[in-house]
Amino acid sequence: MEPAKMASPKSAPKDAQVMAQILKDMGITEYEPRVINQMLEFAYRYVTTILEDAKIYSSHAKKSSVDADDVRLAIQCRTDQSFTSPPPRDFLLDIARQKNQTPLPLIKPYSGPRLPPDRYCLTAPNYRLKSLQKKVASSAGRITVPRLSVGAVSSRPSTPTLGTPSAQTVSVSAKVGTPVSLTGQRFTVQIPSSQAAVKSATPTTPTVQNVLINPSLIGPKNILITTNVVSSQNTSNESNPLKRKHEDDDDYDNL
Amino acid sequence: DRQTLVAVLQFLRRSNLRESEEILRREARLLGDDLGAAALSPAGAGLLGAPGGDADSGGEALLSRVTAAAAIAIGGSVATVASSSPGVAAVAAVPPGKGEPRAGAAVGSHCMFASSFGMSYKLLLYPNAFAVGGGVVVEDQPDVSAVLSAYNQQGDPTLYEEYYSGLKHFIECSLDCHRAELSQLFYPLFVHMYLELVYNQHESEAKSFFERFHGDQECYYQDDLRVLSSLTKKEHMKGNETMLDFRTSKFVLRISRDSYQLLKRHLQEKQNNQIWNIVQEHLYIDIFDGMPRSKQQIDAMVGSLAGEAKREANKAKVFFGLLKEPEFDVPLDDEDEEGENEEGKPKKKKPKKDSVGSKSKKQDPNAPPQNRIPLPELKDSDKLDKVMNMKEAARRVRLGPECLPSICFYTFLNAYQGLTAVDITDDSSMIVGGFADSTVRVWSVTPKKLRSVKTAADLSLIDKESDDVLERIMDEKTASELKILYGHSGPVYGTSFSPDRNYLLSCSEDGTVRLWSLQTFTCLVGYKGHNYPVWDTQFSPYGYYFVSGGHDRVARLWATDHYQPLRIFAGHLADVTCTRFHPNSNYIATGSADRTVRLWDVLNGNCVRIFTGHKGPIHSLAFSPNGRFLATGATDGRVLLWDIGHGLMVGELKGHTDTVYALRFSRDGEILASGSMDNTVRLWDAVKAFEDLETDDFTTATGHINLPENSQDLLLGTYMTKSTPVVHLHFTRRNLLLAAGAYSSQ
Repeated sequence: MEPAKMASPKSAPKDAQVMAQILKDMGITEYEPRVINQMLEFAYRYVTTILEDAKIYSSHAKKSSVDADDVRLAIQCRTDQSFTSPPPRDFLLDIARQKNQTPLPLIKPYSGPRLPPDRYCLTAPNYRLKSLQKKVASSAGRITVPRLSVGAVSSRPSTPTLGTPSAQTVSVSAKVGTPVSLTGQRFTVQIPSSQAAVKSATPTTPTVQNVLINPSLIGPKNILITTNVVSSQNTSNESNPLKRKHEDDDDYDNL
Repeated sequence: DRQTLVAVLQFLRRSNLRESEEILRREARLLGDDLGAAALSPAGAGLLGAPGGDADSGGEALLSRVTAAAAIAIGGSVATVASSSPGVAAVAAVPPGKGEPRAGAAVGSHCMFASSFGMSYKLLLYPNAFAVGGGVVVEDQPDVSAVLSAYNQQGDPTLYEEYYSGLKHFIECSLDCHRAELSQLFYPLFVHMYLELVYNQHESEAKSFFERFHGDQECYYQDDLRVLSSLTKKEHMKGNETMLDFRTSKFVLRISRDSYQLLKRHLQEKQNNQIWNIVQEHLYIDIFDGMPRSKQQIDAMVGSLAGEAKREANKAKVFFGLLKEPEFDVPLDDEDEEGENEEGKPKKKKPKKDSVGSKSKKQDPNAPPQNRIPLPELKDSDKLDKVMNMKEAARRVRLGPECLPSICFYTFLNAYQGLTAVDITDDSSMIVGGFADSTVRVWSVTPKKLRSVKTAADLSLIDKESDDVLERIMDEKTASELKILYGHSGPVYGTSFSPDRNYLLSCSEDGTVRLWSLQTFTCLVGYKGHNYPVWDTQFSPYGYYFVSGGHDRVARLWATDHYQPLRIFAGHLADVTCTRFHPNSNYIATGSADRTVRLWDVLNGNCVRIFTGHKGPIHSLAFSPNGRFLATGATDGRVLLWDIGHGLMVGELKGHTDTVYALRFSRDGEILASGSMDNTVRLWDAVKAFEDLETDDFTTATGHINLPENSQDLLLGTYMTKSTPVVHLHFTRRNLLLAAGAYSSQ
């Protein structure tokens, strides 16, 4: 940083010159040039606040003009609000005496990480998952809520699950005009079904049949595409846990 | 307050106590609105209590106590008034006794004073509570009312200059041997007289007094005088805590008996009662029998905000010895030694025992008992650490004047003057920097990267029974050399690693001290207690405890599992800028902006040593490894050495030209390294500095030292960086010196 360059006397406004002089009187010789601006801002803001308060007090007392008492009262009220100073010495000595009388607590052995009770720590999770809305498990032939979910690799602990869906043939029906919401690192494309998906049914348009998961999709964009089949009760047993997982995620996304 | 005043006046009007009302009005204006209102609130409390009945005795008791306290300063007339009939009658009696305005003023001023201290109690509106609070204040500070009444005495303001110059003339004409000692009087007298003039609102006299005499003061008081020059009105004094403390605490002077007699005789024979009064009330003169001190001796010891330390302040016994290390066998598997033996005990070498523990079976008389303060027990990982420590110690280089350490400097680039704190672990594996942008950054100094523990989901997948489970829990994917910790909301002014390298502490301007885990690199706890910037923090050498010191002028002792401090060390007159543990963890040294260093006992919170002598705020402290000595560095560029056991200054190292921010003793205490803002690291011969100490009876009794001018002999080397102030120093276990600082381009 460059050493402070003073504005030449004839170009700096008078207030700035006064402020520079004050800094010099208080023994501050090295400061960045913007310090003067900050100090002037503070001085201006403080004085206008005090004077406005003083005007209010004087009008409350039905005086014709603001006098020194009003200003004094305004200063006193503002001091307690904006500028707190550390407690006075005898107060500190008093609380110190009280605190120092209790003996040092004994240390429990072998107690793991020694931390205060949980409510005084910052170790609690600072988020909460929205509670599930139980989707009614309807009868066969109507279930299908196949979804295509796309997520970045690092946030998907379900990487190992890639293997399983690809073995199955899936039927995916695309919804027209689905708004794809990119939230954070992953986004879910919601694809409601228009019909029941059977293992080897011939669905009507616009559905995609027999989509095989291509692992090469993962590499370049670092996006993992997992497809979970939530299909008829044939596969419902094994896919129910998957279904629930995505329900959670889906709700979480919607928050 | 205003409302109380109005209520009181109305009550008086209603009760037709016209006279009292007028007097109250007059007093209100005499003392100023706010003060008068506060002054009257106890009076109002007494009055309101009288008809109310329940606070009757409280109000009367308060009034009697208040007036009794005032009577100490004034003299009996008011006391007789106070002992008369209850409430209203007592107040009515006070106004007649108001013949001397001083009585009312003293009562008023005392109440004002009580209220300014009771401010934090916020009890002014509750008569009962205030009676209690007022009572407490009265009992604690019986001399305070005397102090204030002294300030209230209207000595003729125009004569102050005469008094002062008269004293000056007398001292300058006195004998040489006495002159140096009596010159100590100038500064405290000057400040107190100036403050008295300001307090009694004689602005122009105060100003001319200041103009005339401020140049005569010693150069090391110039900073204080500059602050003083900005206090021109009574209202300015109210907000300044340091000045308030200066007013109420006694300035200590050490003068020989002969000089004191001389002074006393002079002041009592002339009509210089004003000065004599001030001397009696604001100064504490510690008289010793012996030769008067020379100017040089005095200059070495003075400089703090409250004068020197009283002799009895440094008389308590301090256990400066080290705690015994637990003994255990060192398992041997040196890689460079040939032939690892299967039995674990090679025939060639004897098993190494811990050299510290086995040497003396007797208890060191200067060491504290093992269980004086509770300390955490050693875990297995701690034992392994100690083993490593001992192995490294075996390979340690012995330093000395012929064998100086190599210095490895870690420069923080692109910090833009934002580096505010640095710490290095004991085994020198990690370095942490605290920055003005409120981040805490941890780097790994060794090639081994920083790893955090895996997430819970990943942890559930690993094999918990495998041998290297401690390696498996670490997440390799996010390993990096740098980890940034976010959490503070203000510049981070102090950082400290725990001895077991599991935790990191950081303290900041936002008033909190945060505990971070170095295994997950997340914040665990925020300790809130200081409500003002915290300037320094340090873990105890055994872990578990840590100390912090801040702007609120106290240092606090915490334990990691308590959300409130265990001990509060109050006593400093200005901010606590530096806090360090003694190697035996039983004492804490604090350096402050009031230019004193205090040593506190952890067990009971008492201040056991006060060291004065620095002329500027203290920024660095270092205990010698044997626990006997303390080195301190301040903005005046001097490094002072203190003997803790005797409480004396034993050395002064001059050489630095700017603030000394870093001090460290080498591992065996042979070399003291100091780093400063003047971009240098200097090495001093500690062995030579501490030998041949004069600790005869006279020295210990009087505390007078004769410091040899041997800074040049003790200086072993000066090493300059190009333009990097040295912020931190650290000796590795093998006595390599590491230094850290941020490059600043000017």
